[in-house]
Amino acid sequence: MISALKNDLESIFKDIQISAPEDDRLIINAQKDAVLTILKFFKDKGYDHLAMISCTDWIEEDEFELIYIVGSYSVYAPAAEDITSDKSGVSKEAAFNGGNILLKTRISRKDPRFITAIPVFENSEPYEREIHELFGVDFKGHPRLTPLFLEREYKIPPFRKDFDTRRYVKDFFDQIPFVENKEK
Amino acid sequence: MDRNDIKKWFKSPDKMGDKYSLWAIYFCTGCGIIEIPPVITARWDAERFGVIPVATPRQSNLFLITGYVSVKTLRAIIRTYEQMPEPKYTVGFGSCPINGGMYWDSYNTIKHLDKYIPIDGWIAGCMPRPEAIFVAVTHLWTLIDQGKAKAYVKYREKYGLYRKNQEMALGKLDWPPLYTTGGGND
Repeated sequence: MISALKNDLESIFKDIQISAPEDDRLIINAQKDAVLTILKFFKDKGYDHLAMISCTDWIEEDEFELIYIVGSYSVYAPAAEDITSDKSGVSKEAAFNGGNILLKTRISRKDPRFITAIPVFENSEPYEREIHELFGVDFKGHPRLTPLFLEREYKIPPFRKDFDTRRYVKDFFDQIPFVENKEK
Repeated sequence: MDRNDIKKWFKSPDKMGDKYSLWAIYFCTGCGIIEIPPVITARWDAERFGVIPVATPRQSNLFLITGYVSVKTLRAIIRTYEQMPEPKYTVGFGSCPINGGMYWDSYNTIKHLDKYIPIDGWIAGCMPRPEAIFVAVTHLWTLIDQGKAKAYVKYREKYGLYRKNQEMALGKLDWPPLYTTGGGND
């Protein structure tokens, strides 16, 4: 099943690298223009569940990597006879269960802009909001990129590798005096 | 009830009442809250010590801060603490409220809770065992007996300083000052 999916993908999309490190996992490296089309392709195939969007800061390569993890609850679920017929457990094909699709793409770190995936998966809204807040990636078309977790403004978004947490703690938290010391 | 305590009951019934009815606000922050369900249920049964969890700050007089405090949680902690009626006692639970613990270089976790609200006692450890809560409670009894658990009085007296620290961490606070006393206002 995963090989069929792989062949399908390779015939439709050019310029992508596909690897399958495990039976139930498919890693796709794609150009950033193709991301929404590939997501739509998987959604049409029955991958109806966007598990999460993640971001990695590759500071030495000057790039952010966005990772879309897509799974399925419906189409590739094992049929009932698949499970009952094989006494040793679930068969390999059935165990695949759609698996996880990891779609990776790189965007520039200097000008971190991307387009929102909300038209395809509506639940990408909070993930993109979080990435905007913690990495400073701007998602075009997102309706509200307002703060989600943080209370304070940071000059550099705190999950970037060049954010110096120790200096920040020294400059901010350590500057607040103890009440006992303040009196003296 | 211990019969030997009867003298104490007649001498200062308010103190004894405080001691044996430490009602803890069920405020869950950080990972330490996982120790609280076994403490209040049958396994350790905190009600032997008069400690029960209550739903609202208006009913409680013991505030257990169970774990790391993010800047956002600090706002809720201050609001909760200010709503509690006096006398009120606070206990920092775990190493994170003491000095940051394993979050000592985190960008969003406050390091010393006693800069923002007064603390009567600390339970060190990561995690402290449920027994440590009872050690803290019995120690708090001693402090109440000796009249040393006066953190809420300190809060009242130095409110200006505390408020200034709170504003440094959280920016402008959107509720009015609780007291007009304290060093910061003059």
